[in-house]
Amino acid sequence: MKAGKIRLKDIGKPSDQMVKLNPADFMRLPYPYDKADSDPDFKQLTEDQKKRYEASLDGVLAISIPKPETKGEEDELVRKFLSGLEKLLTKENNWTFLQPLSLSLEYCAKCQTCNEACPIYTGSGKQEIYRPTYRSEVLRAIVNKYIKKGGKTFAKFSGNDIDLNWTTVARLAELAYRCTLCRRCAQTCPIGVDNGLITHELRKLFSQEMGIAPVEIHTLGSMKHLKAGSSTGLMPVALKDTIEFLEDDIKDRTGLDIKFPMDKEGADILLIHNAGEFLSWPENPMAFAIIFEAAGLNWTLSSDLLGYDAVNYGLWYDDVQFARVAVRHAQIAKKLGVKKIVIGECGHAHKAISVIADRIITGEINIPRESSYTLLEDIVCNGKLNLDPKKNDFPVTLHDPCNVTRLMGVVEPQRRVIRKICPQFREMEPHGVKNYCCGGGSGFAIMPSMNFPDWRTRISGRMKFKQILDAFQDVIDPSINKMVCAPCSNCKGAIREILNHYNAWEKCGISYTGLVEFIVNAMVDIKEPYIEWPEM
Amino acid sequence: MLLLMLSYLGLAVFIVVVLGKIIKYLRMPLHVRWELYPVPHEKGREYGGSYFEELNWWEKPIKRSSLSQVKFMIPEILFVRALYHDNRKLWYASFPFHFGIYMVIGCLGLLFIGAIVNIAGLSPQSAIPVLLQSLAIIFGAIGLILGTIGAIGLLLRRTFDKDLRAFAAPIDYFNLVFILAIFLTGLIAWFSYDSALTVSRDYMRGLITFSPVVVGGSSLVAHIILLSLFIMYLPFTHMTHFIGKYFTWHEVRWDDRINTRGSAIEAKVNKLLNVKQSWSAPHMKPGKTWAETATEEVE
Repeated sequence: MKAGKIRLKDIGKPSDQMVKLNPADFMRLPYPYDKADSDPDFKQLTEDQKKRYEASLDGVLAISIPKPETKGEEDELVRKFLSGLEKLLTKENNWTFLQPLSLSLEYCAKCQTCNEACPIYTGSGKQEIYRPTYRSEVLRAIVNKYIKKGGKTFAKFSGNDIDLNWTTVARLAELAYRCTLCRRCAQTCPIGVDNGLITHELRKLFSQEMGIAPVEIHTLGSMKHLKAGSSTGLMPVALKDTIEFLEDDIKDRTGLDIKFPMDKEGADILLIHNAGEFLSWPENPMAFAIIFEAAGLNWTLSSDLLGYDAVNYGLWYDDVQFARVAVRHAQIAKKLGVKKIVIGECGHAHKAISVIADRIITGEINIPRESSYTLLEDIVCNGKLNLDPKKNDFPVTLHDPCNVTRLMGVVEPQRRVIRKICPQFREMEPHGVKNYCCGGGSGFAIMPSMNFPDWRTRISGRMKFKQILDAFQDVIDPSINKMVCAPCSNCKGAIREILNHYNAWEKCGISYTGLVEFIVNAMVDIKEPYIEWPEM
Repeated sequence: MLLLMLSYLGLAVFIVVVLGKIIKYLRMPLHVRWELYPVPHEKGREYGGSYFEELNWWEKPIKRSSLSQVKFMIPEILFVRALYHDNRKLWYASFPFHFGIYMVIGCLGLLFIGAIVNIAGLSPQSAIPVLLQSLAIIFGAIGLILGTIGAIGLLLRRTFDKDLRAFAAPIDYFNLVFILAIFLTGLIAWFSYDSALTVSRDYMRGLITFSPVVVGGSSLVAHIILLSLFIMYLPFTHMTHFIGKYFTWHEVRWDDRINTRGSAIEAKVNKLLNVKQSWSAPHMKPGKTWAETATEEVE
């Protein structure tokens, strides 16, 4: 099937593959990736994978649903889907989002204004199925035809001409993971319809009723988080060793003797990092410790189960998992008696505990939560550290995590920090609340199985890579070192993969890091450069 | 009299169903926050910032400006600003369409006031009724012309724009043709039969006083029939987005009310946390309340 020929009801028509992705269709990238051969063929699934899993949407697997063996199994799954859909529309089972969902299902005028706002739709070269409206229209048609009374009468006339079968359900499940929930589409809707929300609700239906979710997000994600203490698998005992390692590393790199305050009762601040930082980017929690100690803050980390991992994957796919993690985070803060929780450089953790959990956490565990960006702005801009911006005298651009900017309204603090200490700072366009997602949002950054990473890097991250290249076009020569500041673990992970895929360090001299690294790099008292550049 | 009955029926259905929809949305439970920035009541943060940008934000008064919401919404509603910025091609049709509707509603409002003034005994030749009638003619003429242009434009876009056509259903064309027919019959009635809108004003007077009015022109009869049928049909369609738009903005995109200890929001949340849910995936605990499900050990 060619793009532009696909109609709503095609989602239920069995075929080998609804869409075949071709790099020649993808949005063109700027120099030096403006040649057609910059994009090799798309990574295909093996025949065995295709045989075992439901991959008939676009030949990409995000959740890898095993194919049902019998028609009876298929029918049972369709029945469960419908029962989940009914629950999604009830107060008891979905008070959390019932009103926004109902509004978005009822009021779309099909004007398609949102399409151009979507980095996945535009990045893919406008694949019909990636329109923000496509999956929403499918769900709307199913609700109108199969849930509402009398929906089957005039279904064709009303645009609800769709067949609810296993093909539809299986493709819809995969399609729920072709949107990063960045909600850029919602921002442009003249009526306020939110296709990102509809994706979110679809994911919930699959998870909460059918137990279908990407293994990295559920079993190895939120479940592991709840049971082992961290989705990284880092147990409290191992955390102790990790912290000791970080302390040694600080000593080696800066000469500073810093002891991470652990489980300090009555501290002003409980700092919670995305635990991925400890393992993938230890320089980030180290930099936080250096800054907080230099600024004389009364702070602590927690070694309690969950207390050292700020992630809350439930935000992306499951309200119950979300609530479980949010409540535990708040309980830990209460137990320590801190005045506030400060969230490290993790975008979704920001929104999870500050915005969404605000109507989950009540009573004595309702302890104030604050963005680390805000605190860092106070430290940097109010002269609490001795900083020399010349130490950061190289081109820098800033990536805005959607969860922190568009979805939480923290836009300026991180900019004020960067403007103060990075003399060659330049904005990406667009930025702030109009930013583009890194491509790794809503869990994509931590989903490495099958050929999904290829899809993420080549399609959902494409617009971000274009923005980065555009921001540095005047200094694109690889001999000039350039840095992308990405103050979010998931964004960093996604950007790392994009830069690696395109050899952007070798070809353009572009690397990436977080926000605190720039601050420590600018500290006058630290002689050696803190920011490390990749080796050629 | 039949015509009047149809208009009453149309109005009655419209009011009942629209009120029903508003009540349905008002009665929905408090949802979790899902705001989208910029939120215009955040004073001094027009770039899209929020109170979360303040250090220890909970210790400081939050500066809010309700006026900013109004300032944002007026051009949004009157001039369809979102489309102007993000979908200019469609705006060229959508703006005259919507503005035409507003002008026609304005015209009907003026005719209504004119009828009341008339019932009160003021001579149609005195200053106020003349002014009202003149304004009604201006509003009506502009409205009908713009509305007709807009409806044709939307029909053409829906038919020839491949992005719009891809999702177009027969009902979408039906709705546009229906509205176009209302505008066209109104335009013809105005040109050929009731250019001073005196019959229209008298019809309005008849509606208010429950007294039959003789409407001679077939174009005006057709216009009244179509309009009455349309307002009866409208509440059952997505075209009631004038209701949706209030809720999507005020109750979702801009709802950043904070849950503080002892607040009304907290009381609502506590109540909702004690509702039993029935999700049945393996990691769920169907039959338990949200609070129990969230706090008990996971298996």
